[in-house]
Amino acid sequence: MSLKKKSRRVLFNLFAWSVIGLIAFPLIWMLVTSIKPQSELFLIPPTLLPSEITFEHYWRLIDETPFLTYMKNSIILALSTTAVVIVIATLGAHSLLRFSYPGRERLAQLVLFTYLLPSVVLIIPLYFLMIWIGLANSLISLVIAYTTFSLPYALWLLRSFMAAIPDDLESAALVDGATRMEAFIDVILPQALPGIISTALFTMILAWNEYLYALVLVNTDESRPLTTGVMSILITSFNIEWSLLMAASVMMSVPLIVAFVFLQKYLTRGFGAGAVKG
Amino acid sequence: MSEVHINHVYKRFGDVTAVDDLSLLFKAGEFVSVLGPSGCGKTTLLRMLAGLETPSAGEISIGDKVVNDLPPGSRDIAMVFQTYALYPHMTVRGNIEYPLKKRRTPKAERAVKVKDAAELLQLEELLDRKPRQLSGGQQQRVALGRALVRDPAVFLLDEPLSNLDAKLRAHMRAELIQLHERIGKTMVYVTHDQLEAMTMSHRIAVLRFGVLQQFASPDEVYRKPANEFVAGFIGTPSMNFIAGEIDNSDGKLTFCGGGVALSVQAGLLPDGLIADGDKFLVKMGFRPEDIFIGDQGDDALVSVVEPTGHEVIVLIDLNGNEVVARVNPDVRLKAGDKVKLRFRPDKLHFFGTKEGIRLNV
Ligand SMILES: Nc1ncnc2c1ncn2[C@@H]1O[C@H](COP(=O)(O)OP(=O)(O)OP(=O)(O)O)[C@@H](O)[C@H]1O
Ligand SMILES: [Mg+2]
Repeated sequence: MSLKKKSRRVLFNLFAWSVIGLIAFPLIWMLVTSIKPQSELFLIPPTLLPSEITFEHYWRLIDETPFLTYMKNSIILALSTTAVVIVIATLGAHSLLRFSYPGRERLAQLVLFTYLLPSVVLIIPLYFLMIWIGLANSLISLVIAYTTFSLPYALWLLRSFMAAIPDDLESAALVDGATRMEAFIDVILPQALPGIISTALFTMILAWNEYLYALVLVNTDESRPLTTGVMSILITSFNIEWSLLMAASVMMSVPLIVAFVFLQKYLTRGFGAGAVKG
Repeated sequence: MSEVHINHVYKRFGDVTAVDDLSLLFKAGEFVSVLGPSGCGKTTLLRMLAGLETPSAGEISIGDKVVNDLPPGSRDIAMVFQTYALYPHMTVRGNIEYPLKKRRTPKAERAVKVKDAAELLQLEELLDRKPRQLSGGQQQRVALGRALVRDPAVFLLDEPLSNLDAKLRAHMRAELIQLHERIGKTMVYVTHDQLEAMTMSHRIAVLRFGVLQQFASPDEVYRKPANEFVAGFIGTPSMNFIAGEIDNSDGKLTFCGGGVALSVQAGLLPDGLIADGDKFLVKMGFRPEDIFIGDQGDDALVSVVEPTGHEVIVLIDLNGNEVVARVNPDVRLKAGDKVKLRFRPDKLHFFGTKEGIRLNV
């Protein structure tokens, strides 16, 4: 390897690592701050490695605040939104691709159109709607709200994933004696799995991080998710409890990281598997 | 083993009529090819037989049952797709077993049947592999196995060999013929390769733009093509055509065209086709093997010589008409040679100019 090539590589690595550092630093700082004693928080110069590791902030969060309720709400919210969205979007995408009925293309365009509508526009009407049907301040209202704006996108994403599945596979299953539903379950679903999982992750992240709708539609501690919940515990008084906030942030990130670690391998699996030769 | 009856069947997709008033009867146990150029409606016909597509009009029967309203799974047919359509996430065993599972065959019986099919198609070693770990020929055999395993009355095969290389194709052709002999089931074989149709089938249905052109044995389709399209489509190199006219003077028929004058053998054309003293516009067709190059006949010029080994294909300029001839490689010819052409009088085909209908007796 020539000197020029070598130095180019060193430079490239340097660049890559500084970008990684830039992105990772706030996360590391969040983690470090959450396990520092309160006294060390505002030391100048700041300590990168705490002199003493403490979990008191985590205990306080669990003992003294409704954090666990919020966490539970968020988990229920993310999982049920994802379940609803995936079931409807998978069946919907299949229908838009494989069934023929009048207005099918129009319907697909209409779905895309609703996605283009800014979701902020829908908050107030949805709020009144929820009050009217008596679902205000409930988790269900949030599931419905999140479904309205993640479904169109999920439907389109899945439609393009599933369009790549050859028609002949389903035909073959039908000829082999499967009903349409069986063909869907036995043949289409396994092929669509990577697409379904990425769509599910996308929906889950969206539901987990959503703030605006949660703020407007839910005003009781029993149904608040983490995003608005954490804000309400920590910024009510005059000072911001940084240690608590960081501990909460760490705990909020954990479920998503776990989900990613588990599902990541499915994301790539199955792509390019030879359904038909060529 | 069942016969298949297609009765005035139409299929329209919007403005396109993919299958146009088709009526065919396939006998039980027969190996029938459906032959035609790309887009002529072969796959559409097969998909209608399978129940994957509903006819716009007409009736389809398998055995003595009208199947128009039966779903694919209840028609007692099996289909091999152009793309094979093996289930990628299942093993070879899973693929072959799938139709049995859907028919609630008991597990023990399934295992036996899968084993038998695998044995017949020499797939025993591959049973635990996934389709993507197989070669094209192996995938093709798995697709056949999946069709075989449940012992259907009718096999539908959609260009199953079109994705294989030439050598493997010849091999699989022979295997398919043997397979048909062994199991004796009705097979409907779709192809655009006339060689496959000619070598494998009892009868060939030739389609064009969704319309049936001819339904006859390979021999008849070759020797007595029903019209100009069939004549030109079947045979490689394809039939030569020369436009001209036939006149009748005192009951003697003479073809004139392309600078050639030929007397037409008695009995070749129906009596009374052309009234005495009358003329009739025709196209004369003759196959490349039915002309001779020698020292008698009409003057012509050799334009291209293509040796293929066992024979030589010669392109000849006959008074401005391009004519293809097959000749023995021992005849040494080169481009630019002046030659003389003779036609085999009993092998001339005549077609009407309007619809290209065969005029011969
Ligand atoms: N689902 C469909 N919608 C609209 N048109 C169709 C559809 N399926 C087939 N066609 C049209 O019907 C005609 C016949 O198609 P088909 O697939 O049966 O041809 P084919 O003979 O199998 O051709 P190939 O040899 O290329 O496979 C074509 O013009 C095609 O464009
Ligand atoms: Mg086809």
